[in-house]
Amino acid sequence: MKISLPVWLVIGLLFGLVIFLLFYKNVIPGAHDPAYQDAYRIEPIPMPEGLSGEVGGLGFFQDGRLAACFHRGEVMIYTPATKQWKLFAEGLHDPLGLLVVSDSELLVMQEPELTRIKDTNGDGQADVYENVADGFGLSGNYHEFNYGPVKDKDGNLFIALNTGSAGDGIRQELRGQLNTLGRYGEDGKGQMFSVVPYRGWVMKLTPAGTLIPFAMGFRSPNGLGFDADGNLLVADNQGDWVATSALYHVEEGNFYGHVASLVWKKGWKKGNPFMMPIAALDAMRTKAAVLFPQGIMANSPSQPLCDKTDGKFGPFAGQVFIGEMNRERIVRVMLETVGGALQGACIPFIDGMGLRMGNNRLAFAPDGSLWVGQTDHGWAGDKGIQRIVFTGETPMDIYSMNLTVHGFDLTFTQPVDEQVAANPDNYAVHHYYYAYYKKEESEDVDTSIQVDVQPIRVTQITISPDRKKVSLTLSDLKPGYIYELKLENMKSAKGRPLTNKLICYTLNKLITD
Amino acid sequence: MTSNQFIRNGSFLPLCLLLTIPVQSEVSPPVDSVTTVLLNAIPGLQYDVVRFTVKPGARVKVILTNKDDMSHNLVFTKPGARLSVVNGALKLEEKGPMMNYIPGSADVLWSIPILSPGQVRSIVFTAPKSQGAYPYVCTFPGHGFVMYGVMYVTTDEHLPGIENDLNIPPTRRESKSAEATGKNEDHTLHSAKTKSPHPYEPTTPYLYRVYMEDASPAAIAVNLPNELSYCWDAGTCQLRYAWQGGFVDNTAVWKGQHKNAVAKILGTIFFRETTHPLRIGSREEIPVVAYKGYQLINRYPEFHYTLDGIDVYELIQSKADGQGLVRTFRIPGVTKPVCIYVHSQEGIEYETPLGKWKKNKLMLSSSEAREFTIVMTKTAK
Repeated sequence: MKISLPVWLVIGLLFGLVIFLLFYKNVIPGAHDPAYQDAYRIEPIPMPEGLSGEVGGLGFFQDGRLAACFHRGEVMIYTPATKQWKLFAEGLHDPLGLLVVSDSELLVMQEPELTRIKDTNGDGQADVYENVADGFGLSGNYHEFNYGPVKDKDGNLFIALNTGSAGDGIRQELRGQLNTLGRYGEDGKGQMFSVVPYRGWVMKLTPAGTLIPFAMGFRSPNGLGFDADGNLLVADNQGDWVATSALYHVEEGNFYGHVASLVWKKGWKKGNPFMMPIAALDAMRTKAAVLFPQGIMANSPSQPLCDKTDGKFGPFAGQVFIGEMNRERIVRVMLETVGGALQGACIPFIDGMGLRMGNNRLAFAPDGSLWVGQTDHGWAGDKGIQRIVFTGETPMDIYSMNLTVHGFDLTFTQPVDEQVAANPDNYAVHHYYYAYYKKEESEDVDTSIQVDVQPIRVTQITISPDRKKVSLTLSDLKPGYIYELKLENMKSAKGRPLTNKLICYTLNKLITD
Repeated sequence: MTSNQFIRNGSFLPLCLLLTIPVQSEVSPPVDSVTTVLLNAIPGLQYDVVRFTVKPGARVKVILTNKDDMSHNLVFTKPGARLSVVNGALKLEEKGPMMNYIPGSADVLWSIPILSPGQVRSIVFTAPKSQGAYPYVCTFPGHGFVMYGVMYVTTDEHLPGIENDLNIPPTRRESKSAEATGKNEDHTLHSAKTKSPHPYEPTTPYLYRVYMEDASPAAIAVNLPNELSYCWDAGTCQLRYAWQGGFVDNTAVWKGQHKNAVAKILGTIFFRETTHPLRIGSREEIPVVAYKGYQLINRYPEFHYTLDGIDVYELIQSKADGQGLVRTFRIPGVTKPVCIYVHSQEGIEYETPLGKWKKNKLMLSSSEAREFTIVMTKTAK
């Protein structure tokens, strides 16, 4: 049978095919790329039956086994190869952090003390529980959680002590000296308090074993870590005096804003700090390196952890990940030094994708996967452990956001689509700030008020020759503000949409020429 | 197509019925006055009421009171749309706070904006005419996955069994009491028969570091064989009290955001020690103690502390007959005589193989004090 098609039909079909391919390429991300997959994969870790999997601490032994501690006092060891859990220690009081010392030894931060837990007879279970540091008070208030320890390069350990909750009282019999100046009013309504030593402080334990009050002004510092340069980072949770959650660069002697802890400052003679004028307190205060806008980026940030996997976990080596309890989210933080101090931006890293809420603890396994321990404990959250694996596929994401003299440089992990990136309409920029003030009793604890929310114009856009860096000039740059950028339409040159579209830069200081 | 065709093929009657049902309710709406529902947001990310029924087309008034110490809103959604609305709220991102975390979605039927603790607010609406399960949820970030309930729009008073009701949070599906109070979890340790609160069956002896009554917040509860238990205080470095019966119930202290909770002692206290009993040398003042830790010896903790700088160890076991405690002290480095004050206490008899009694004081030479035992026996009254 002879087939003959009219020429016009052939041309028409070809034309249609071309149109289809063009269209297809534009609407289906990565369709050009048969190997396209998500850059990260979330995997569940099976938990032992009968465990209330409220994770307080995670850490890896050198051989790849995981140590985890849980709210009801268990320390358990998981062998990834066999997927088996084994009990290592039990009976601890709300352990909220651990540090692996050796194959048979851990440091665990529990409510009454930092404890060294050792298996000395080699049967796989701990038999020695040594008090390493308990030189701080306990009022019996349920909220006096303790966090850490983390170890710096000189062998110092750092721990953080939560303030007491205004929603609960104090016990009759305390540990440590009672100082009611650290509480607001008779019943402490509406304000977290510090009535026993060093509540609201970060403490340093020297290798010689001396526990030193290191820095003050913390409310709920659920998470300590270091950046790539070894700077101590501590997260704090939004609430009274903490207008929105924060990541602080913690240095000795500094005050970070929550006033209760001030009563334990050496030589403190200013009476009840809750009654001091805001201006005086503000003048003493060291500002957060990064603020997490409440209800937008994170409500309850937890442990910061620097990516030291040298690329095993993807393109963000040297940056800091931080868990978020209230959402199915892990946030990524990028820091830079401006005017002699750390400041920088935060952006969602994993958002959903099967990640649970309650992301409380992070640890990198020797294979470069990121393990995430979750808890809820009466708050928003979840229980259990998941791990995040880098698939090898580079995500289309903002790699870094850096302040320039007139705006910001956005560096992407992949070349951007020039047409989209060059259009100022594709950058929704706002600035605002959060005021430092004392919340009145009538005021809701978890409401955060953005002050002076203003749209900011992008007045000039320059794209680097490799199309990875977009330099934005803004109509206005003010220190003391958060610069929030929303890049709804951004995509890579290959048409892949930007994974995380919202980024917030905490501008404490401007670059001066 | 004409109406005649319908009549002929028999479709007319059912269609008429279908058309008339809504028409009827338009013409004669339900005579019920407003159905009022009281909803409270309560601690633990929950509404106290997780399900209720209303009739189709009823006027409904929902009064929400925030009795929690966090912020909450209330959003009614179309059937099956809870999760998409919750995720829609998360996607508001920077617009969330100003929109009360309520997405502008057609799936949202009615809502009450964010309420601060203590605030009350109500809404009145007309229930849909179509029967179904209409979720209500708090869309504050993080809350919506656990804090929700369901409004059944139905003419049927009978609801599915609460234990099988997939429209309410899993933690609220357990019992009638859960429906009423929302207190449902952690029924642990009420007796030896209940399920273990751990991924293993605790083996006696074992301990919990936990808040306990009549002790500092650094207390340790230790369970011994023969239904004996004691509280050792790492704050004051001493045995505080001992009891017989069950061990402890940690339900209240293990709850998040508990208020002044302590472990519940499941037995009868038969012994209490007030001030620290040991004195080394001629010092009569209350000694200065420092807690050092414990080591497990056949699972029994041997506590270690210093007393005026000298290392002291104490191991407590139950008497073989179950009628008391055997306390073994070690003070290996002691070079001075030691005395132990025993506060005369009704119902306790002391036996000591070493030392001499001087009234209520047991006197030990330094060599005797290196290791000695005190047996405390409950006496029948």
